Amino acid sequence: MKHVAKLAAAAALGALMGSTALAEGLYTPNLAYRTGPFAATGIPLMNGQADYMAMLNARDGGIGGVMVDFEECETGYSTEKGVECYEKTKGKAIVTQPWSTGITLQVLPKTNVDEIPILAPGYGFSPMADGKVFQWAFNAPLSYWDGASIILKFLQDQGDLSGKKVAFLHLDHPFGKEPLPYLETKAEALGFELLPIPVGLKEMQNQSAQWLQIRRERPDYVIMWGWGAMNAGAITEAVKTKFPMENMLGVWWSGHDADLDIVGEEGKGYKSVSWSFPNPDAPVMADVKQHVIDAGKSQASADELDGVFYSRGLVISAILAEGIHVAQEHFDKAEISPSDLRWGLENLDMSEARLDELGLTGMVPPFSTSCSNHAGHSGGWILEWDGAKFVKASDLIMPDSEAISELELSRAKEYAEANAPWPVNEDCKM
Amino acid sequence: MLNEIFIKPFVDMVEAPDFLMQVLWEGLVSGILYALIALGFVLIYRSSRIFNFAQGIMVVFAALTLVGLHAMGVPAWICVVLTLGVMFVLAVTIERVVLRPLVGQPDIILFMATIGITLFLIGFGEIIFGGENKVMITEQLGIPTDSVLLEPWGGLLILEQKDITAVAVAALLVVALLVFLNKTRMGRAIRALGDDHQAALSVGISLQTIWVLVWFIAGIIALVTGIAWGARAGVSFALEVIAYKALPVLMLGGLESITGAIVGGLMIGMLEKLFEIYWGQPLLGGNTETWFAFVLALIVLLFRPQGLFGERIIERV
Repeated sequence: MKHVAKLAAAAALGALMGSTALAEGLYTPNLAYRTGPFAATGIPLMNGQADYMAMLNARDGGIGGVMVDFEECETGYSTEKGVECYEKTKGKAIVTQPWSTGITLQVLPKTNVDEIPILAPGYGFSPMADGKVFQWAFNAPLSYWDGASIILKFLQDQGDLSGKKVAFLHLDHPFGKEPLPYLETKAEALGFELLPIPVGLKEMQNQSAQWLQIRRERPDYVIMWGWGAMNAGAITEAVKTKFPMENMLGVWWSGHDADLDIVGEEGKGYKSVSWSFPNPDAPVMADVKQHVIDAGKSQASADELDGVFYSRGLVISAILAEGIHVAQEHFDKAEISPSDLRWGLENLDMSEARLDELGLTGMVPPFSTSCSNHAGHSGGWILEWDGAKFVKASDLIMPDSEAISELELSRAKEYAEANAPWPVNEDCKM
Repeated sequence: MLNEIFIKPFVDMVEAPDFLMQVLWEGLVSGILYALIALGFVLIYRSSRIFNFAQGIMVVFAALTLVGLHAMGVPAWICVVLTLGVMFVLAVTIERVVLRPLVGQPDIILFMATIGITLFLIGFGEIIFGGENKVMITEQLGIPTDSVLLEPWGGLLILEQKDITAVAVAALLVVALLVFLNKTRMGRAIRALGDDHQAALSVGISLQTIWVLVWFIAGIIALVTGIAWGARAGVSFALEVIAYKALPVLMLGGLESITGAIVGGLMIGMLEKLFEIYWGQPLLGGNTETWFAFVLALIVLLFRPQGLFGERIIERV
């Protein structure tokens, strides 16, 4: 009897604690990767994300008066651990941030059942941009196909691509293969030869075979889709094989200052497409410094703060915070549900004016989303390594929306058919 | 297709001999480093029958300690000495805390213990040094970073001076280890333990001392490997993955054979590069290095289960 009484008391306490936890804040778990082979890329991004939320909590008391409960679950960029983290955190989460294309692909069908939005800014499965089919997934402000399109447009500005050879050096992983369908389509349309060169996870730091192939094939350009240790491995090999750095361009995850520090001056001319840019003078930076850095609440090192990736982490959390804010305003309540947040993320209007209001001036291009457009297709800048840091090497370049949209719709349809019955958003009439 | 498999690769080799030399050179550099890592495994296995799963993370830990100390303002060569000191302390700690209490336990328990050491070192290393990519102190150590450009047969052969240094240092270390194992009392004691554990103990060889010694040697190997690989693409936890490349070397060469580790490492380094360039990339879409070495080792194991140089052990049942 005593045991039963104890159990009842424990259950009552548990229920009380559970309800308190729900009222404690907006639970926004982040499936982080601060360990393992990809940690070098992950750490500044995660720091930026965490610091932005910590700043909102300290400066504004959270969002709409509710504190943000920003918790990390470490995946080491492993898909298996990522799925475990998703399952562990989904109970009270209003969003999931999977942080790997592999994990995103695994949790994509689950979020339809659990009805939790996936926020994957600038990563994940590109057709997620089709909000009618992928109603719970968001890759705003732009997708990998947008990124590939911006790179090709930049190269076309340098000269006709017809008859040229373009090597596509990529991680042999769902992330690395993601832009291939778009690049293959464009290779045929623009008349260039596409040479895919995969890099295995165990070969990231020893890419001599891949660069021997590049030396033998003599491509005009190398487009790199690298993550983590692959970036530094490729850039050092490019320097070693005397490949002209100005003809090498990477995706936004291949534009990390620390990767280029390894080659320093020799990496001069290397480029990377980016949908974010550090602006030390932006008001948000002053607020983060005052409320988080100076208060000793940040894990970021001093030299990380002006880097591209830390700044991108801030922007990613700002997108999530804006989605929460939009949902709170629309539904006129502070404690929002995952489905409310989905509405918020579908109605983002990150105009120049709104970005200024948020203190994010110049840190991300303006974009907006809708129920049919979950990517925003913001456009991006080409950044260039000047030997010590990344500088802007182009104005904002918009992706080739027409070609991408066509491909997105057809691939999204294929995915839905292959995973039938796949629920689509019938209410979206856009 | 037959032409692509049996004729074209060899025609390509003959038509561009400078490129073939470059491929072989890159294979040699990788191979000697694989051999070095494999030696770390072999030494520990020979003396204690422990398959040291922690060899990879020891490479990372040694390299991180070196660059971490330098970041604190310690001169480069003093950092090397201090790092060796840290690796010695690590060897003593592992022997005292992990291995000694497990003496006499089945091999699998000791193997699991090394997985525990790996997980501990990952966490400990990340707490102390952080997970960011760091620049190896190549120039501060006096390692030249320029390239030597040769023009054999009117072509081009690029030899990185740091690769030449890595090959030379690794070769010297291998020779030094062979001399140590064959010509010194301690070296013979290690071999004696490998040959017959009980007999070695009965003649007064101290298991504890030998275990500390082999783990320390594995630490030295880890430091040299860490410097060589770190100079190529920075120092990060991704270096740990490279140690797994030594597994097929061990399968091929034999887990107990020092000669096997060296020959196996060089064979795999060069053959996987040749296969990738002349067959893998043109016919299979590339990235064959991920599996080639394992397939090669598997084929060898079909005919020689003990590896090329391993001992044939017949156990009575």
